[in-house]
Amino acid sequence: MASTPTSAPTVSAPADAPAVAPTASPVRFSADAPAGPSAAFPARPSTDASTASPAGAPVAGAPSAPIPAVLREAVAEASESSLTGPSVGRRLWRGSVRVAGSVGRRTVAVAALAAIWEILPRLEVVDPTFLTPLSGVLAAWWDLLLSGELLDHTQASLIRSLSGLALAIIVAIPLGLLIGWYRPVADLLNPVLELFRNTAALALLPVFVLILGLGETSKISIILYACAWPILLNTIAGVKGVDPLLIKSARSMGLPPIRLFQKVILPAAVPTIFTGIRMAGAYSILVLVAAEMVGAKAGLGYLINYAQFNFRVPDMYAGIITISVLGLLFNQFLVRLERRFSTWRTT
Amino acid sequence: MKIQIQGVGKKFRVRDADRLFTALDDITLDVRAGEFLTLVGPSGCGKSTLLDLLAGLDSPTTGRILLNGTPVNGPGLDRGIVFQQYALFPWRTALSNIEFGLEAKAVSKKERAERARTYLELVGLRGFENRYPHELSGGMRQRVAIARSLAFDPDVLLMDEPFAALDAQTRESLQEELLRIWEKTGKTIVFITHGIDEAVYLGQRVAVMTSRPGRIKRVVDVEFDSREGDLRADARFGEYRHEVWTLLRDEVAAARAEEAVSVG
Repeated sequence: MASTPTSAPTVSAPADAPAVAPTASPVRFSADAPAGPSAAFPARPSTDASTASPAGAPVAGAPSAPIPAVLREAVAEASESSLTGPSVGRRLWRGSVRVAGSVGRRTVAVAALAAIWEILPRLEVVDPTFLTPLSGVLAAWWDLLLSGELLDHTQASLIRSLSGLALAIIVAIPLGLLIGWYRPVADLLNPVLELFRNTAALALLPVFVLILGLGETSKISIILYACAWPILLNTIAGVKGVDPLLIKSARSMGLPPIRLFQKVILPAAVPTIFTGIRMAGAYSILVLVAAEMVGAKAGLGYLINYAQFNFRVPDMYAGIITISVLGLLFNQFLVRLERRFSTWRTT
Repeated sequence: MKIQIQGVGKKFRVRDADRLFTALDDITLDVRAGEFLTLVGPSGCGKSTLLDLLAGLDSPTTGRILLNGTPVNGPGLDRGIVFQQYALFPWRTALSNIEFGLEAKAVSKKERAERARTYLELVGLRGFENRYPHELSGGMRQRVAIARSLAFDPDVLLMDEPFAALDAQTRESLQEELLRIWEKTGKTIVFITHGIDEAVYLGQRVAVMTSRPGRIKRVVDVEFDSREGDLRADARFGEYRHEVWTLLRDEVAAARAEEAVSVG
């Protein structure tokens, strides 16, 4: 199969259980974006996920991540050639060129973006008051870091995101298993699910605030709500998508339903569930920012919003950069975790 | 008698049809202990339905099936099934797949691994313990599936066109190997196929089924002095082959005609 194991199969899930989650259109647009990089990962038949290097990683925005892998490749190539003898130097040279080329390819777009960001305001093609040159933003970021302000905001944001995501995992996976496995539960809940999953999560933010107040509860709740959908829908799809032959095979060995569930349904659904968790990870950051723009006293979303109100434009951009790097790292982490649990899913 | 199939019929309710569809009709067949019985029939004659009934995955509409004299009323580890599409658990290694059936039996972890290793060796896959199914060829996967079914030591091995998805060369070598395993383990084997050569080569008896509804048309005794050497070159092989072919020819034609009617 040409498609990759990480995201493609579930995204193209059957019409009754689409995996693309139902949030406001801007959120949905950017939420789908993190799924992109992983979709481009080549399917690796490696049995040990930890050795799988992100060689095909097109995530040019994370220069820190690919480089070690690239170096590992170079070292591997060098040590490999040292066994074969005469052309060591040439091979080492060729290896370095190849590695340099691959680093170059991965960073060129980001470098270009950075350059444009720096140059356009300096040439006053765009108003530097509204778009601070990158160097200025980085300086502001450094100041925020030194003052400890950035850490406080990041911590507040992370706690909200992670609690929301964790609660979503705790709630949505068992519910999804139940809906996927028991036909009556599915029949009962499907109309409600259809209704809610087509309602943008952020459209409900005012309702959450109204009922739960402006504090942490409403923020974590909205993140929980947004994150629950991809996990729930993917869990349902995962359970429904188990190869019937595997179920038949296990049944023929006299496995009672509970064991069948534990030994066949659950392990077969794990990769699909993880795809849902990865998508939810992206949502947790995206919804977080919006939630923090309403009545928060800390958090990166608050920082961005507050900086804009007070015309601290460099700080605003520093906040934006922080949140995007945070999202990127989080997604990378989840992609790796997902791959670790899906090594067998390559056919 | 190991297996007694007595007047077994099976009807299904077909979607948007009022009348019931008769898949099997009045099948009576005995399988002796330690026998290798092959079952041939045109496609859609209910061979796999019969196997499901033997496995206890479904129950007959009429008649009954006895295993060791007691009626079959559900699946169990006294029968092992080998499917055409292997049905290996892709998240388990070869060894762990073979252990699967043993986990349901109360066998200690250490003994499970030991037994699994023994059967992996029996099917000639020593050294492939830690491979995942997707890292094995079709033939190897089927070997693992056979080992899995043998590992929990069933009385009867039920095989549903197990070699149909393999290339000719792999199929022949697996057929030979299956005979060797059968001789070594003394299992009773019911082997479903649509290949006449395969049926005659493997079976001590070949049961020929009619097209819809499936009935047993004739049971042909296949006797060779020895199964050593190139059995297919034996003149008697040709005779048996021709006999089964003649029995099947009319059924295949009938099945075709019916398909043409239902399609047209």
